[in-house]
Amino acid sequence: MIQSVALLLALAHPLGNFSINEYVGLTVGPHQVSVVAIVDSAEIPTLQDRPAVDADGDGTVSDAERAAHATRVCAIVASSVHASVGSDRLVWTVGPSTFDYAPGAGGLSVSRLRCSLSAAASVSPGESVSVENTYLADRVGWREMTAVGDGVGLDSRLPAVSVSHELTDYPRDLLASVLDVRSGTARVVSSGSSSGTVALPTGGDPVSRWLAGVDRTFQDLVGRGQLTPAVGLVAVLLALLLGAGHAALPGHGKTILAAYLAGKRGRRRDALAVAGTVTLTHTGGVLALGLVLSAGSALAGDRVLAWLGLVSGVIVLSVGVTMLLALVRRGRAGGHGLLHRHDHDHDHTHGHGHSHAHGAGHPHGYDHSDGHAHDDSHGHDHEHPHGDGHPHNHGVHDGHGGHHDHDHVHSGSTAPRRTSRLGLAGIGLAGGLVPSPSALVVLLAAIGLGRTGYGVLLVVAYGIGMATTLTGAGLLLLAVQRRLARTARGSSSRWASLLARVNAVTPAATATLVLLVGAGLAVRAAVGVL
Amino acid sequence: MSRPRRAAWTVGPVTVLALAIVIVGAVFGRTPSPSSDTQAAQAPDRLQQSIEAAQQRLRRLPGDWQTWAQLSLAYLEESRITGDPTWYAKAQDAAGQSLAVKPNGNLAALVAQGALANARHDFATAQRLASTVVTQDPYNAGAYSVLVDAETQLGHPAAATDAVQHLLDLRPGLPAYARASYDLEQRGLTQAATDLMTRALGSAVDRSDIAFTRNQLGDLAFNAGDLAAADAQYAAGQKADPTSITLLRGRARVAAARRDLAGALASYATLTTRMPSPSYLLEYADLLRASGADPSPQLRLARAAHDLFVANGGVDGLTEAALAEAEGNPAAAVRAAQAEWDRRHFADVADALGWALHLAGRSREGLVYSGLAVAGGARSAVYAYHQGMIELSLGSRAEARSHLAEALAINPYFSPLDAPSARRALADLGT
Repeated sequence: MIQSVALLLALAHPLGNFSINEYVGLTVGPHQVSVVAIVDSAEIPTLQDRPAVDADGDGTVSDAERAAHATRVCAIVASSVHASVGSDRLVWTVGPSTFDYAPGAGGLSVSRLRCSLSAAASVSPGESVSVENTYLADRVGWREMTAVGDGVGLDSRLPAVSVSHELTDYPRDLLASVLDVRSGTARVVSSGSSSGTVALPTGGDPVSRWLAGVDRTFQDLVGRGQLTPAVGLVAVLLALLLGAGHAALPGHGKTILAAYLAGKRGRRRDALAVAGTVTLTHTGGVLALGLVLSAGSALAGDRVLAWLGLVSGVIVLSVGVTMLLALVRRGRAGGHGLLHRHDHDHDHTHGHGHSHAHGAGHPHGYDHSDGHAHDDSHGHDHEHPHGDGHPHNHGVHDGHGGHHDHDHVHSGSTAPRRTSRLGLAGIGLAGGLVPSPSALVVLLAAIGLGRTGYGVLLVVAYGIGMATTLTGAGLLLLAVQRRLARTARGSSSRWASLLARVNAVTPAATATLVLLVGAGLAVRAAVGVL
Repeated sequence: MSRPRRAAWTVGPVTVLALAIVIVGAVFGRTPSPSSDTQAAQAPDRLQQSIEAAQQRLRRLPGDWQTWAQLSLAYLEESRITGDPTWYAKAQDAAGQSLAVKPNGNLAALVAQGALANARHDFATAQRLASTVVTQDPYNAGAYSVLVDAETQLGHPAAATDAVQHLLDLRPGLPAYARASYDLEQRGLTQAATDLMTRALGSAVDRSDIAFTRNQLGDLAFNAGDLAAADAQYAAGQKADPTSITLLRGRARVAAARRDLAGALASYATLTTRMPSPSYLLEYADLLRASGADPSPQLRLARAAHDLFVANGGVDGLTEAALAEAEGNPAAAVRAAQAEWDRRHFADVADALGWALHLAGRSREGLVYSGLAVAGGARSAVYAYHQGMIELSLGSRAEARSHLAEALAINPYFSPLDAPSARRALADLGT
């Protein structure tokens, strides 16, 4: 059983002695598109091609032979690099081309081909230039592409600068895979000054950025090789802080809390109970999901979260429907006598465009704690640590400061209270259901490091932090509410009648809003899942 | 109802419901697990995903030694699948990083280093590392994988079988089945090896896993002279992974066996440009010689590739011996094979040393090693052919006739050059 594949060692060339590495640098101007194509061949392909370069077969390669080879191969490259503006395929004119040898490993040579291609094209703002490199597609090696505008502004995912300095200095970062970019597009956004890719801003508002920083520090702490008592204590404190900060971000049922307290003309105990419910749901969800994810290798975390998002949306939706139905029933039953004042403090401050503290590319690494021996020569392991980097679906529990829940219930009637408690529980569930990614990451990291118990402790600390913020917010609301109530009582009758009128309309409006928000959440999550 | 009880009424159902929903979500959120070849062809590359996951994680948690070790193994796996040796250096550095973070008791890194040592043919080191791990953690399946390969290649069949049994017990699956199958093949139990590999196919999910398994099944069939079965296996493998180089080689060998030399040469030209490894280039050179063409450019390339390998600290006496033989330097071939034999007593090495000694005019010594090659029970047309030819040169006509006939009986297509040579010799010997 010859496994010669495995016999070759990593050699002096950064990408192996039989790699063929290619770079395509795209320049878009208002009247011309041009490409610099570079092919860096390692020792073996260079040796393989030598008979083709040495056209007269005399064993040496003359300057004329090199120039002829460059022209010949660049023509092939030109036919293999496909570019178009809009739907118009560009036809390249091959400009100056060079082919050179350089000393390589083991007394052999490496070679470098440089082709200049250009095509006339009028490129106006809004149009896209697409490029695809198919030259020697089946050969092992680095594939890189860049795009810059020359007299026009570009919007492109392709970088403006070559990380390998046009195949002269390959990055040796252990955590970087070989680049393999074979196609890309660049949209002309303006006819102004040249620009490459605009770097995405990393943070949102200062609070989110600060939280993200704490988050990172925290995860680094948990991942440390040695866990001293001091470090452990700091991590627990940080978990408390993070949980508190996290709960201060949009979502997490602060609106529910507000509505609950408003509806019940709240008591302090209620603030504690509701905050506790959301926190418990959340903590329990994180623990359950974390344990499930770390146990089952076939589970995809992102899919799980997407499903949870859907469920959460459906719950909010059904609560909205229930609220409306209850209103209708009550309207028939007794009219206005049952309607109450609703001071609902929505916490709308954060608005819908939530900038989540965890940023977009949150690497939710969960790994398997046992080392899988992947293979060498005669067989192989196929249990890989499962992929992640899921874009976690935060939209669901965060950001929509629109969880309007109103307790339209009134002391004395037990049946409605029951319904209402179920509704509240539903909304609380929806709010706490989708686990906070940072808590999940911390738990999974701890499990990955064989410190499951510690991870659970941290998640619980995180939950306590959340509860503290939520309770604090609830008590604050309570104080504000009481003050308002006193003001209303003491003020003129005009002010009171206005309040009453607002109160009469609000239940229907908020029920509709809850329904709409629920529908929106459910549809958005469903798009991701189905 | 007292207040705490009311709170419990709210919290209890909510918690239970949350758990239920999480579990339901987990069930629905399962990634589809494809079972057939074609489904797998569309499956995402799990290895690539796991590498990216580990890379991202380590950017955040550079002190996570477990993930460093996993990344090392994943890089190694990538090297095996793509044939791109770049990954070896990365695998080594990643394992080193893991050890730098946790120098003591870091079994995961030792397993990774052992796997790398195997890949580099430093089997003694691999065996030492894997043995260290299994003494400390007798349930470490990864270490047993490394140990199986090392013991097999070092020529310790009993230890290899013992390790493969541990591996099968601890983690039955493709890696265990593939190794057990190879172990059976080494004992000449070709049918059992094929059966086990067929079972392994059932547990293969990734494209590369299916391609690997199909290739092993194809090789088993080819080595038994069953061209139709071999071709069917290789073709099925190509359906799962059209880019596989090993499967292209398999089909090229079948084409050559069916006397489609032009097709075989075209395939070898393709596969040696994509993967210019010395062993493929040597096979290509053999095929060129069989078709009457000049093999020397391919031999020069093979020599260059091998010299680079050696220049980077690689040791491979078997390839060195085969190259020296092809270049007409039997004395160098003997030196290389002898050096390899001093490192390990594996059947392939015994066969290579025996044949090199014979070519260097030391057939009597060669016969001893040629006999050692088959002592373990392996059924190999090549071993039998070498044995027969050595016996022929020593005048043992009856033994020669029997071994040459055996070679052709095992696989009439074993080599484009040697199979016809065996037929000629047999004809000369008469009946």
